[in-house]
Amino acid sequence: MNKSKLNRSLLTDSISYLYLTILAVIAAFPLLWIILSAVKEKGEMITNPTALFPKKLTLDNFRVVIEQLHFGSNMLNSVIVAGCTTIVSVIIAALGAYGVVRFFPRFGKVMTRVLITTYMFPPILLAVPYSILVGKAGLVNSRIGLVITYLSFSVPYAIWLLVGFFKTVPLEMEEAAYVDGANRLQVFIQIVMPIVTPGVIAVAIYTFINAWNEFLYSLILINSSNKMTVGIILKSLEGQEVMDWGVMMAASAMVVIPSVIFFMLIQKKIAGGLAAGSIK
Amino acid sequence: MNKHKKLLSKITAFSFVLPAILVVGLLLLYPVASSIFYSFTSKNLIKTTYKFVGLKNYIKVLSDSTFISSFLTSLKWTIFSLIGQVVVGFTAALALEHIRRGKGFYRTILIIPWAFPSIVIAMSWKWILNGVYGFVPIALVKLGIFSEIPQFFTTKEFVFATLLFINIWFGAPLIMVNVLSALQTIPKDQYEAARIDGATSLQQFRYITLPHISVVVGLLVVLRTIWVFNNFDLIYLITGGGPANLTQTVPIYAYNVGWGQKQLGVASAVTVLLLVFLLVICAIYFRILNKLEKEGPQ
Repeated sequence: MNKSKLNRSLLTDSISYLYLTILAVIAAFPLLWIILSAVKEKGEMITNPTALFPKKLTLDNFRVVIEQLHFGSNMLNSVIVAGCTTIVSVIIAALGAYGVVRFFPRFGKVMTRVLITTYMFPPILLAVPYSILVGKAGLVNSRIGLVITYLSFSVPYAIWLLVGFFKTVPLEMEEAAYVDGANRLQVFIQIVMPIVTPGVIAVAIYTFINAWNEFLYSLILINSSNKMTVGIILKSLEGQEVMDWGVMMAASAMVVIPSVIFFMLIQKKIAGGLAAGSIK
Repeated sequence: MNKHKKLLSKITAFSFVLPAILVVGLLLLYPVASSIFYSFTSKNLIKTTYKFVGLKNYIKVLSDSTFISSFLTSLKWTIFSLIGQVVVGFTAALALEHIRRGKGFYRTILIIPWAFPSIVIAMSWKWILNGVYGFVPIALVKLGIFSEIPQFFTTKEFVFATLLFINIWFGAPLIMVNVLSALQTIPKDQYEAARIDGATSLQQFRYITLPHISVVVGLLVVLRTIWVFNNFDLIYLITGGGPANLTQTVPIYAYNVGWGQKQLGVASAVTVLLLVFLLVICAIYFRILNKLEKEGPQ
């Protein structure tokens, strides 16, 4: 390689690294600042707001969040709602995605378009009828009501992601099982599911994160604090007269850290599926 | 017997997709239909009785200057957010593709914002940009860039840009990751061949990179456009549409009418108008999709 070319690649390399480093700092800073603020003492946050690292570590904020605000029960609500949403949607979506891929392939394109169209429905559009219908069903302030409304966005999305995974299952394996006398449900559970398990787990985690992160439907459907999910309780914390940012950041840390960790575990699988789903 | 078996096989095949069809039908199509119905009524959030009012709600909404300004704010919010997300996401993906070491490390760090729940996005940035003890405003004063602590959420000049910044921070990783996976589908030997023919980096980008990723990126942009346009959480949680309705988009307007003023019928009219607008965009999207599928490289 000649010298000028070497210099040029050195230059573009350093520009790339510099750019990525700046972006990485901006991307990571809020998470870092949440954690650092959560373990700082109250006095230090006020006297020296720009000090990056705390002089003294404290878990007082977490103690307030857990013992006084009983945040644990709200976390549990969110886990229950997101967990049930995930289980129900993954079952429905796995059956549906497999059914379309295997039995109704001609409808694949139509279905993808219906799903994309529902993806375009504004959540606020559904919020109005949901508040009326859930009220009629007597499910206001219930976790079941919330799970049902969450299916509206989690099922279509899960189908969309899963179709790509089911397409990779070789037909010959299924045919061999049919020859051995297995029925469709047996083939699905015993042959197909084991092959796509990694994909299904990724989709399940993604569904869980999305349900965990949801805000609007729980805002309109839940108003008693013992049924509130984490998002709504944080919002109501903000409305209190004396706002304690240390406590707020401690609670935020408890909400966001699981999301970030799980997301990092599955991001490679989901990203490919997103791009693939959008063109097929 | 054979006929019977065939019917049974059809039924089992259908029962696989039935639950999914029920979800789409009962949780998506039926509510939308009922929303359209309520948009012609005087439905109230608290009262149980309502009557048919014809087009009154639509006339009310369309003649409300606040609705019109909310619509314009929505367009502004969508266009600038999208441009920012695409520019940052795209350039980050190109830089990531360019470097040889630390790819995985940077990628992992850069996608962090994507995992954030909207409530934590709002709270963390409200704290970082807080007008009394916030890290960034005070650091800016210490650096001598501002003489007094800037108020990013309440000052007319700053608030919209602040929201855009936060939305770009949140949305750029998704674009980046998808562009990155599209970039990786480009056969490397094409670059090799171009280099031998003496093509510059810019020419390689124009004639190899862009055509290959245009399909994915184009569709991604449309989906994101709709998503950003529909976004309720971020603005509601950060500014609530204020100060003085300056950051009020259509979803926030609909929420204020429906739950603030308790006029669900009028709110339905707003969201139905929103839907009509989005369906038009959707139709254009499928048109482009058909066209791309006919000519595209993939």
